Amino acid sequence: MLRYFRARQAKLTPLLLLSPALLTMLFVVGIPMVFSFYTSLTPYRLTRPETIETFIGLRNYTRLLSDEAFWIAFGRTILFLAIALNVEFLLGLGIALLINRITWGQRTLRTIMMFPMMFSPILVGFQFKFIFNDNIGILNNALQSLGLADQAIPWLVDGKLAMFSIIFAEVWMSTSVFAILLLAGLFAMPRDPLEAAKVDGCNPWQVFRHIMLPFIMPFAFIAMTIRSLDVARAYDIVAVMTDGGPAGRTELLWTLIARMGYENARMGQANAMAYISTILSIAFTYYFFTKLVAARRFMGGAE
Amino acid sequence: MSRLTAKALLATALVPLLAAPVAAQDYGNFEGYTLRVKLIGGAQYEPLYAEISKWEEMTGATVEILSRKNHFELDREIKQDIAARTLDWCVGSNHTSFAPQYGNIYADLNELIDADTLDAFVPLVLEHSTVGGRLVQLPRHSDVSNMFYIKSLFADGDNQTAFKAEYGYDLAPPETWAQVLDQAKFFANPPDFYGTQFVGKDEAVVGRFYEMLVAEGGQLFTDDWEPTFNSEAGVRALQWFVDLYQSKAVPVGVPNYLWDDTGLGFASGTVALNLDWAGWSAFFNDPENSKVAGDVGLVRAPKGSSGKRTGWSGSHSFSITEACDNKDAAASFVTFITDHDRQMVEARNGLLPTRTAVWEDAKAEFAADGRDFMVDVFDTFATSMSEDAFTPPLIPEWIEVSNVLWPRLQAALVGDMTAQEALDKAAEEALLIMEDAGYR
Amino acid sequence: MSRTLKNRLRAAGLWFATFVLMVTICVPGLWVVLSAFRPNREILAKPPVWVPENLTLGNFSKIFGFGENQVAIPVLDYFSNSLVIAITSTLIALIVGMSGGYAFARFRFRFKNAWFLGLMLSRTVPGIALSLPIFMIWSRLGIIDTKTGLIIVYVALNVPFTIWLIDGFFRQIPASLSEAAQVDGCTRWQAFWRIEFPLARSGIAAAGVFAFLTSWNEFALASQLTRSTDSKTLPVGLMDFTSQFTIDWAGMSAMAVIIIVPALILTFIVQKHLIAGLTFGGVKG
Repeated sequence: MLRYFRARQAKLTPLLLLSPALLTMLFVVGIPMVFSFYTSLTPYRLTRPETIETFIGLRNYTRLLSDEAFWIAFGRTILFLAIALNVEFLLGLGIALLINRITWGQRTLRTIMMFPMMFSPILVGFQFKFIFNDNIGILNNALQSLGLADQAIPWLVDGKLAMFSIIFAEVWMSTSVFAILLLAGLFAMPRDPLEAAKVDGCNPWQVFRHIMLPFIMPFAFIAMTIRSLDVARAYDIVAVMTDGGPAGRTELLWTLIARMGYENARMGQANAMAYISTILSIAFTYYFFTKLVAARRFMGGAE
Repeated sequence: MSRLTAKALLATALVPLLAAPVAAQDYGNFEGYTLRVKLIGGAQYEPLYAEISKWEEMTGATVEILSRKNHFELDREIKQDIAARTLDWCVGSNHTSFAPQYGNIYADLNELIDADTLDAFVPLVLEHSTVGGRLVQLPRHSDVSNMFYIKSLFADGDNQTAFKAEYGYDLAPPETWAQVLDQAKFFANPPDFYGTQFVGKDEAVVGRFYEMLVAEGGQLFTDDWEPTFNSEAGVRALQWFVDLYQSKAVPVGVPNYLWDDTGLGFASGTVALNLDWAGWSAFFNDPENSKVAGDVGLVRAPKGSSGKRTGWSGSHSFSITEACDNKDAAASFVTFITDHDRQMVEARNGLLPTRTAVWEDAKAEFAADGRDFMVDVFDTFATSMSEDAFTPPLIPEWIEVSNVLWPRLQAALVGDMTAQEALDKAAEEALLIMEDAGYR
Repeated sequence: MSRTLKNRLRAAGLWFATFVLMVTICVPGLWVVLSAFRPNREILAKPPVWVPENLTLGNFSKIFGFGENQVAIPVLDYFSNSLVIAITSTLIALIVGMSGGYAFARFRFRFKNAWFLGLMLSRTVPGIALSLPIFMIWSRLGIIDTKTGLIIVYVALNVPFTIWLIDGFFRQIPASLSEAAQVDGCTRWQAFWRIEFPLARSGIAAAGVFAFLTSWNEFALASQLTRSTDSKTLPVGLMDFTSQFTIDWAGMSAMAVIIIVPALILTFIVQKHLIAGLTFGGVKG
């Protein structure tokens, strides 16, 4: 009897422990997702609440299939993510390697390193909007007074520069996350293999390539996963800096969805877009997650 | 008691304004009632809200400000309220361009506010505040744009000779948009100095394009709501912006500019001509904020080729919800907050009044204080408010149509499309919206 | 020159070089901080004013409504809202995360990996897709424009990462430790608090910092779910400096400093735990 109860309890305990987390996510994410999926099957307009009762099946989705602007934004979002995440990783790695070598006063440097993390995305948006302003912005002013440019550079207008600028802002804000996680990885690194490699006459590059890098890759994937969890934060930045313009050159899925849903008040259509974009972020996250699991296995650590 | 305070307050406030038609208005008694309101926030709008306590004293009611946000955020919030059916408040800030979207959530003020009060407002502005025959908002202050310029540049002898030699006519503050184009090119010296500038995105650029379209003799829609802005006049209007942009007479960043960029740009003293809203006048002439203070000239907005002047206009306003549980209190509040003295408070900060009498009284006060520039501002803006001002089509789809227009306008500016292609494409998309909405 | 001195000099040089590099990276942010102490006219001047001529606290006194004709921004309300919301939601997320992380680390159960992945993926849904449904549900529950409403959302934002971090940490602590304690007569509960919790403290602190920073800086959802001084947070308050036509950049920068400084201090204080906590198992020699 007692044994049965113990066994029963052992089965129930993890679920009991997990239930607060599951309930929270169900409440804040699950139910709203069901609701927004339903509205994506209606011509729901915010300003006409009764439209939520009209069921139109997959019409919003089929409309999207032939919507060129949507797919361009979709492709551009993937590009944005791919570039931003990779650049953040490389820069973060560089900073982490550098700070790792510091033995004294490191706490101060680490705090300085995390400085951009203190900035709310909305603030980052405004900040770079002003910095990249072509006429009175500090960047162009600096380039002109240093004699590096004799013209105003249209940072937020030119086709390539505008994407560069929003990626720059995003990278500036988020590189710290990579740096701090990779630094943690370097700290956790056992010293023995490093010493052994040095004794064996490996050059620094070989040490890095064959010993350090494999070790910190799991941390890189953790950072990637975390970042792809909340890249949508970049919405605040882009909305303030360019709002997808000019001529749609920086239009990302999030700016498109927000405009469709709130300004145009066509929530049904917007939610259909949001569903497709959710699938995108799930795919990204899932990809990094499987990489992470594989890398952890490789290290022989806990799964 | 409350009546007495009111009289005392009015008396003190009106000392310099003997001409004002003043009757100690009775705002009623709403003891114990709490009026729930949503107001537009921002430094320009806040001084008025300091007056609210006076209404509270007079009527015994309390005002609870539920939210205070800029208009785009307020718009989002109101749409959420409509969607979630949580319209549990009485008075909301509104704007003539936004009002048509909200359907019938706002009450017809013709039934709530007495005719004498309404008669004191500028008739054209009330007309702009009417949607489908219903007066859904009481205008608080209006706005329209006129042409600010740097006086010393135009007075400079060398500039005058050089300009005459190059363009064949005298350099003077512009009367037509064609002259603006010439002068902008003449003054431009990128990247240090620019001829003029314009806003380049969102509803803002659509408004600028729209007023130019009207000045060129075109219109947005035919009488049965078919988009017709891709007409010859439309292409001419857009081409004007494209020429200006391509000639580098404006900053290269304008496709990403909004009102703050143009305003601050002119205040930085690096722009010769700047079409801008009345609300900026005081800022431009304030040495604390502006490098061109004291050197700012102002003329009426120039004419297009049709001889009509540009005059895109809108008014900030207050609306009362149909769901309001005490419309009398709400009406009393709205009347109070737009009354003569309250408008004087805003006029002193350079905002354009909506009551006929306040135009004159504010001007008289500026003259008495020796603020000549502001007298000039009020003269110029009074003319354009009464003769040139027009609003965008007052239909719910305006914002949506403008959202398909602006990316196309930008595409023409940066050279991705010709003006004709861009407008054709936008007209196609706008037609779809109008069809979806059941106009055709 | 002795060897130790040489080493020391080299270390100092490296430190200094790194310091300069870090500060360079921070320049766009430092520009914001500097802007907070300068008048608008000087920040956005052309030609630029490189060396500040007037350093002033005017932007701050403007925020607090000192001086004539100034409308105060209710920054103290925003500050206390932000503080209450960020701290409460962080604490709750840590408790929920500890209990969930413990379950993943110490128990075997069916579909464990699927549950774990599911929790992570639920976090990927963009806020913009959730904002309206959450708004509708919250308004039915009457928690729009309340701190409670925002706290619930932020707990959900932070739980997945917290679980992940804490799960990793508990795994590194040998289960035998708590088993030994249980043999000695502790209950599992006591064993957790006396043995495992202290060992996992760094991990919990690291998760806490991340959760706090996320909640402290979040804007998109807060701007949808808050309306008045009852619940508006500091980042939402930044928008008070924008109006239809203008952005008061100097004022916004001053407000930004008010947002950044507490977060920076907190980060500095827990810096030691932060790194240790993120290594998923302490520093190995």
